[in-house]
Amino acid sequence: MLARISPQTLRILALLAVVLAVLLFFSTQVPNYLNGRLFNRISSSVAIMALIACGQTLVILTRNIDLSIGSIVGFVAFATGSLITNNPELGPVLLVSYSIILGACFGVVNGLLVAFLRIPSIIVTLATMALFRSSLVEYSDAKSITTGNLPEWLISFPNYKVLTFGTLQLRAGFLVAVLVVIAVHIALTHLRPARKLYAVGSNPEAAEMAGINTKLVVLSAFACAGALAGLAGFMFLARFGTITVVAGLGIELKSVAASVVGGVNIFGGSGTVIGALLGAILVDLIDMSLVRWALVSEFWREAVLGTLILLSVAADAILMRRLIALRVAREKTTKENAP
Amino acid sequence: MKHFTKLTMAATLLLGTAGFATAEGHSVTLETGQEVNMVLLPKFLGILVFDQANEGAQEAHAELENPGELLFIGPTPENSTAGQIEIMTTAATQGQGAVMISNNAGDQIVPSALAAQEAGTRVVTWDSPIPSGEGEDVFIAQVDFGSIGVIMADMAFSILGGEGQMAVLSATPDASNQNAWIAAMQVALEDEKYANIELVDVVYGDDQAEVSYNRALALVDQYPDLGVIMSPTTVGIQAAAKAMQDEGLCEQVKVSGLGLPSEMLSYTLNGCAPEFALWDFRDLGYLTYFTAYGLASGQLTGDIGETFSAGRMGDYTIEEDPGRPGTKRILMGPFTVYTAENVEAAAN
Repeated sequence: MLARISPQTLRILALLAVVLAVLLFFSTQVPNYLNGRLFNRISSSVAIMALIACGQTLVILTRNIDLSIGSIVGFVAFATGSLITNNPELGPVLLVSYSIILGACFGVVNGLLVAFLRIPSIIVTLATMALFRSSLVEYSDAKSITTGNLPEWLISFPNYKVLTFGTLQLRAGFLVAVLVVIAVHIALTHLRPARKLYAVGSNPEAAEMAGINTKLVVLSAFACAGALAGLAGFMFLARFGTITVVAGLGIELKSVAASVVGGVNIFGGSGTVIGALLGAILVDLIDMSLVRWALVSEFWREAVLGTLILLSVAADAILMRRLIALRVAREKTTKENAP
Repeated sequence: MKHFTKLTMAATLLLGTAGFATAEGHSVTLETGQEVNMVLLPKFLGILVFDQANEGAQEAHAELENPGELLFIGPTPENSTAGQIEIMTTAATQGQGAVMISNNAGDQIVPSALAAQEAGTRVVTWDSPIPSGEGEDVFIAQVDFGSIGVIMADMAFSILGGEGQMAVLSATPDASNQNAWIAAMQVALEDEKYANIELVDVVYGDDQAEVSYNRALALVDQYPDLGVIMSPTTVGIQAAAKAMQDEGLCEQVKVSGLGLPSEMLSYTLNGCAPEFALWDFRDLGYLTYFTAYGLASGQLTGDIGETFSAGRMGDYTIEEDPGRPGTKRILMGPFTVYTAENVEAAAN
């Protein structure tokens, strides 16, 4: 049976096992832990990170990294909030499009610099991270967006209950994020242009020889990541209502963590956005549980979070190796037994 | 009745300061038109209260007809500690007359502040002091840190009806002002009056809306009997109020602490945050500027007992800081408690 499962599916199964293990562990440590509320908390909070990790994954697949993604989320959240505050009559479609297009513009800036000026992405996006954040400080004029000035539909949208099972709620924000991730996943597995991301990531020279315009592919990866970050910015605004210049600070590293924990190869070429979604869930789960774990003080939490991320990646890697070894062994026996 | 007590307390504080002033005999009136370049350095840029402090400082700058420059520069949010140290160091090498800083770097700022003082730059802290007081000429305290503790304990008392569980949602774990206020509240809570109020936890939202929002929800999940979340930071209080509103928990868990009326309006009116307090940041910037100008132009020595006139705000005296023995402060005070009755007027 194992032989029929692809390595990517195996990886996702392994991740699910780690998520379960973490849940079990903390349920023995934290009072009032395993209940519907926990699901509501994690799902609402992960809705934003899932989109960002998904965008980050697209970039990582092409052997690049986007460190400016947190600044993009913050800027878009602020700009969208400012737009709707000044024009309260704007509809959802226009507002969401504005967020996505604005995010994509930031992504294009990154993409152009990386693809056409051939500057390493870690340098480019380190610089644009500061640039975008500073432009937000300038643009915001020390004002902040407050919930009171936002229309009701915007604030209530992420918490709209689509389905309810007891205390467990499936909310609109989470549903949207999951649908987007699934759509991106289908595109990556079935659409030829999207497959090029993998081609460029696994071997840029070969991809070029095969007639793929690698520059264009890298540019589009950054643009798509920007667009997804823009959508995340919209969701950020809807969820938190209050946006200051620190909005989205530190998200970039969390998104890299989520992708890598989710099995996306940091050297490009392999990984899935479903994995990144699970990675985001795992990181968020660990983070939220640690806050409630009395044993760990505030000052040690980050260190423990880092250690747990390392452990979960290691556990995932070991589990994967075992499973693959098992599969190879089985294939061998099947071959030997064949006449 | 409750508000009356607070007003009396504020009045007593003011009288205390005023009494000191008369005892000293005379109050220095600052000469206008002295040229001093000064830097106003907030924790980081882009937060409304710091911008209000800058407005107050600019007002004082114009009023004192200082031909020099008043720079409002600060680090970007992700670089607050290192950025503050850097700006402090640069100010010293540029020979600025004074740096007015809301310290977010804890005692890490001390070496650069000492170097600045050696270079002849006066270091005046406001909003958040240097914990050890080293490298600091004087601290402009917005309100008495001890009285913030009492006010927070009182707000919790009135919201809980005298009995119940309270948790604190603070800013960063090393913000010296918030830490001092929480400590003051813990001291206040030892009073018999608050015997039935239990402080169950202190968590940190890093002054980020999203972190604070999640921390507030974690508190509710962790302590099913929690009655009030006390957040001594403008970012934390509104994130907590939003979280309670989103999850329909406002009936169960109230939010209180220090907040801006314009940002808290809707939560106060709908009962999520029935009571909160704050002082005027414009006044704080104004008073800070007067003090720094006086020190940098050599008209004030900065010794304990010295009294001077701070324009429209009246007389102030330099005294020993009771919260940090061996250091000096000027106490601004008082602050306002906002409820559904007065929040609308203050928000506009």
